[in-house]
Amino acid sequence: MPNKVAIIGVGITPFRARYLDKTYFELAYDATKLALDDSNKNGAQISHKDLQSTVYGIYNELFERQFMPDIFTNSYLGMNDKPGTRIATGGATGGYTVRMAYAEVASGLTDLCLCIGLEKCNDCYDEQTGTTTPEVLNAIAYSADMTYEYPMGMMAASSYVSMVNAHYEEFGNPTEEQMAFVSVKNHGNAMLNPKAQSPMKITVEDVIYSRIICYPFKMLDCCLYSEASAALILASEQKVKELGIEKPIWITGVGAANTDCFIGNRESIGRLYSNIEAAKVAYKMAGLDYNNIKNQIDVAELHDAFSGQEVISYEELGFVPFGEGGPWIENSFEKSGEGPWLDGELPCCPSGGLIGCGHAVGATGIMSTGEAALQIREEAGKHQVRIEKGRAISHSIGGPGAAYAAIIVMANEEGLKKP
Amino acid sequence: MSGENFQAHEIRDKIIIQYKYTMGSQSKFFIELKNNKKLLGTKCTKCGKTWMPPRINCSECYEPADWIEMKQTGTIEVSTIVWYTTSAFIKAIPYGVAYVKLDGADTALLQGIFSENLVPSKVKKGSFVKAVFLKEREGKMTDFFFVPEDEYETWINKPEYEGGV
Ligand SMILES: [Zn+2]
Repeated sequence: MPNKVAIIGVGITPFRARYLDKTYFELAYDATKLALDDSNKNGAQISHKDLQSTVYGIYNELFERQFMPDIFTNSYLGMNDKPGTRIATGGATGGYTVRMAYAEVASGLTDLCLCIGLEKCNDCYDEQTGTTTPEVLNAIAYSADMTYEYPMGMMAASSYVSMVNAHYEEFGNPTEEQMAFVSVKNHGNAMLNPKAQSPMKITVEDVIYSRIICYPFKMLDCCLYSEASAALILASEQKVKELGIEKPIWITGVGAANTDCFIGNRESIGRLYSNIEAAKVAYKMAGLDYNNIKNQIDVAELHDAFSGQEVISYEELGFVPFGEGGPWIENSFEKSGEGPWLDGELPCCPSGGLIGCGHAVGATGIMSTGEAALQIREEAGKHQVRIEKGRAISHSIGGPGAAYAAIIVMANEEGLKKP
Repeated sequence: MSGENFQAHEIRDKIIIQYKYTMGSQSKFFIELKNNKKLLGTKCTKCGKTWMPPRINCSECYEPADWIEMKQTGTIEVSTIVWYTTSAFIKAIPYGVAYVKLDGADTALLQGIFSENLVPSKVKKGSFVKAVFLKEREGKMTDFFFVPEDEYETWINKPEYEGGV
């Protein structure tokens, strides 16, 4: 049996378009300090010297202009002469990093582990347009298959849009309007999150008439790339007791899967088998039911890199049957109206998600997991949702054709006991 | 710490690595594309699945796959039109890309879709397309692209392009 593992501290820096005053390892230092402070508010008395190992989530060497950026971060965090391992799984880096940090503690390798994600993308700069984004996108595009797909001008949006377009062909949704509801909701929720990069009160029309990126995704359907770091401190049950942690958030399920990175090899393009598999594994480990998950958790922090992707995730993660994602958000929108939007059958992305907060790739899934943990600690702040079951999930996807997926299930003390 | 008087120092830099990259056992695909305008896939000797892009081993059976010549006509599985993109392609917008299932193939290949009238309805799922080749080929995926079936004659009559075999 694995050791029980708890999140005892959460530290998230603000997500910003660009930090001119910090490097990537300086951002990591800030997140670590915040996570240590949070652990200490939560009953511990620890410093970085008590942390026994680190798992780093850092996606892209080209962003950081540094291969093996983890070892330079390790030095700056004062973590020398302890184990440190880096995870890089595209947009799913954060979720996978939580999974590996969980494994370090659950296996007994360490009993106090720093799980940290960081990314600083907007040092990339395209001289021809005098802007950052095209060069950021190019640095990401090297994650496509370099021989068969990169030369076709493949990039993140045109890759992810394939699943959304195929889903639309199969089920008639999500429509452009249904996708816009996600954008309205997540930008709206971000208004209550002081760490979010893109808080905005917008309408469905604002989304639909925003600049076209790749059909049918518009500018406001897409997250913005961001710079940030997010850290969690994970402890074994023994350590939780020893430190006297007041509100441990237990990681009860971890699931991950990689589907075929060549979209054209997939049996059906309109769904991510990785999401389905990762969700089933994580829920089963947590003793929850894929077909009833919507009623067993209070909140989900989803990977809404693109609005349409959030809609099809509702189905893959078991919230609604296949083909009903579009109608589900449409019904919720009719009830809740324009954001912020923190209630409904199952609040999704109360933090604002990637569309509202920004996407600091390696940090994102750790931010989502930390946000979900703070929700069930009932310490999320203005965007706190109602907690009844004491359980939450976070979700990360990434890579070519969103091949990587990771799901984390967590529970507070009450959530462990309730059926 | 950063205060009101903080001044950032930015350094301009770039990372460039040059390659002479072997395509290994997939080399035959690129050689036949360059020299003979053929599109080669592979077929598993055990389960019969055709792989495109080709792989000489079947990842499902762990058995070898044989080279086969694919048809140069196919159907769009899913597509998009790109209006904003990476620094490397921004001069090319708008451009169409699609996963195309060649007739007889089990998998779909990502390729550029060229059209005189590039609109979503022209490149939608189920549209028939045909391969058009560059006259000057280098043995790269950019040596060919697909066009809607009804535009094939127009495209192969342009001076820089030609029809396949
Ligand atoms: Zn086979």
